[in-house]
Amino acid sequence: MVPTAVECTGRVVEQAPLARDTFRLRLECPEIAEQIVPGQFFMIRIPGGSDPLLGRPFALYDVARDADGRAVAIDFVYHVIGKVTGLLAGWSGGERVELWGPLGNGFPVPRAGHLVCVGGGIGYTPFLAVAREAAGQRRYGNPGRAVAEKASRVTLLYGVQTRDVRADLSDFADIPRFSHRISTDDGSEGRAGFVTELLREMLTDETERPAAVYCCGPEPMMRATAALCAEHEAPCWLSLETPMACGFGACFSCVTRVRVDEDPGWDYRRTCVEGPVFSSASLLLE
Amino acid sequence: MADLRVTLNRLSLRNPILVASGTFGYAREMAAYVDFGRIGGVIPKTITPLPRMGNRPPRTVETASGMLNSIGLDNDGLEAFIEKHLGYLLTLETAVIANIAGRNTDEFVEMARRLGEFQRLAGLELNISCPNVSGGVDYGTDPTLTYEVVAAVRGACELPVIAKLTPNVTNITTVAAAAAEAGADAVSLVNTFQGMAIDWRRRTPVLGNRIGGLSGPAIKPLALRCVWQVAQSVPVPVIGIGGIQSIDDVMEFLVAGASAVQIGTANFYNPGLSSALVEELEKTVDAEGCERVVDLVGTLKAS
Ligand SMILES: Cc1cc2nc3c(=O)[nH]c(=O)nc-3n(C[C@H](O)[C@H](O)[C@H](O)COP(=O)(O)OP(=O)(O)OC[C@H]3O[C@@H](n4cnc5c(N)ncnc54)[C@H](O)[C@@H]3O)c2cc1C
Ligand SMILES: Cc1cc2nc3c(=O)[nH]c(=O)nc-3n(C[C@H](O)[C@H](O)[C@H](O)COP(=O)(O)O)c2cc1C
Ligand code: FES
Repeated sequence: MVPTAVECTGRVVEQAPLARDTFRLRLECPEIAEQIVPGQFFMIRIPGGSDPLLGRPFALYDVARDADGRAVAIDFVYHVIGKVTGLLAGWSGGERVELWGPLGNGFPVPRAGHLVCVGGGIGYTPFLAVAREAAGQRRYGNPGRAVAEKASRVTLLYGVQTRDVRADLSDFADIPRFSHRISTDDGSEGRAGFVTELLREMLTDETERPAAVYCCGPEPMMRATAALCAEHEAPCWLSLETPMACGFGACFSCVTRVRVDEDPGWDYRRTCVEGPVFSSASLLLE
Repeated sequence: MADLRVTLNRLSLRNPILVASGTFGYAREMAAYVDFGRIGGVIPKTITPLPRMGNRPPRTVETASGMLNSIGLDNDGLEAFIEKHLGYLLTLETAVIANIAGRNTDEFVEMARRLGEFQRLAGLELNISCPNVSGGVDYGTDPTLTYEVVAAVRGACELPVIAKLTPNVTNITTVAAAAAEAGADAVSLVNTFQGMAIDWRRRTPVLGNRIGGLSGPAIKPLALRCVWQVAQSVPVPVIGIGGIQSIDDVMEFLVAGASAVQIGTANFYNPGLSSALVEELEKTVDAEGCERVVDLVGTLKAS
């Protein structure tokens, strides 16, 4: 079945804090939950008013199932930075949002070998579902996306500015053959420095060598990750977070520079429909 | 059941709910949300003779009850449009009105001729009002140039012609009158209002293009004023555009004198809105005790 996006109303089931200004929110929305795959996103809009006006994109964190195993809800994790996220943070359950999705392409189906996920700040959130799928623990989509050969293991390299904003990773605890390493810019936890230093170690250690690197985070961090992977010839995919007004290809606001054969060697392409996940080699990063 | 059909000179529509250029992609993007068979018509994104890269990001930013955009007519050009999109568009069970922009009259004429070959197109909308491109002639602010380009396009093809007007002028009625005199079947208004967003802490404009066009609910009162003034004084059917997001908004434009409306920015945050509005329009016209939607057009009282 070809997944088809739907526009629907979702009810807030629950919300839990994972770090300072960071929350996990569960939305009851079976129509999207049964179709969405890791790396895809959806748009959320606060109904009723006209300020905030537009929907906001959020990546899938995980799909929640009922007692019969039916996909009924979607979880996402957000960091409070503005109008919509500020409002969401005050919610406690029962509120309604308008949403549409699933949107975008998602991460490629994992391949065999060591999958390394690099998450910067709130950019770590797509990797719960990625890791569960790669490890063969869960299937996503309808029919469930088939994973030909499970990843031998999955490592999350998670970089944050400081310990306070490091999200609680206990949701990852039951994933088989999964491990994580943390870096903080200020050294308050884990390795001091940028998360790309952890990646460099993996790329240069034969026993750790990744079969693929998936990355999501602030732009400079994604650029550094892409450069490192290119240097060490590791296949790399980036999930971009360009600002979006619609999420489904109608407005042409979310563009990024994609390499093309014709002059001048690149073209602006819509991240919401051709991405948000791109192989780093296909992008012309500014 | 109310009769929703409207006729704007040579342009006949099943109902007055259209979707605005640049806010509906090439329709394919909307297929999951919209029942094309319900709406009055589709106006795909503006096409130019040759491909245009568009402006550098950020291209949009939300503002109070609205948004600014500076997309810059990012499109693959006329021939790519015909090859990649027109075939699909013409399979849809709705009127398709192509929207074109040229840098000079020759370019408008050349595009009108080429598109005139497609008789299943319902019409052409001339974008003489885009605030985001430089280097071209600013038709929409000059009645003489507006007359010239509309007359030339009328002479170049058989399709009904709509002139899409900019509100960034001192007097929109003189431009509308020039379009009408040159033979436009209708005028559509408004395109976006020029505006700006500033990040004062960084001391930078928010948009890559520095300035952009304001749209959404914030501009509805401004657009209503323009539509009412033109409908009052110029003998040409008006298509109302600006901030429409509910059936009440639609009714306000109709009562102000618009024969049809276009839904713009609201497609982004309520993608199924256009087809839902057709249903609501039917009910509202019935509830008003009218047999035909046209009986409501321009019924504003002096007060
Ligand atoms: C595909 C995708 C997936 C995403 N997934 C997630 C996710 O899982 N979790 C998550 O937390 N985030 C995610 N994001 C980012 C998320 O969409 C944004 O954080 C969210 O839209 C913020 O909305 P807001 O209303 O709270 O902030 P806004 O009020 O919209 O503000 C956003 C930012 O822009 C700045 N800004 C806004 N307007 C102006 C202005 N006029 N001038 C200057 N600056 C301005 C604000 O200061 C702020 O920094 C994702 C983005 C994309 C594209
Ligand atoms: C992102 C965006 C892109 C647009 N692109 C075009 C375009 O290509 N051609 C055009 O004639 N109008 C374009 N417009 C203007 C709309 O068609 C419409 O006239 C305007 O947005 C006002 O209506 P609204 O407030 O309902 O959006 C664009 C508007 C937006 C918001
Ligand atoms: S967000 Fe509108 S086209 Fe991508």
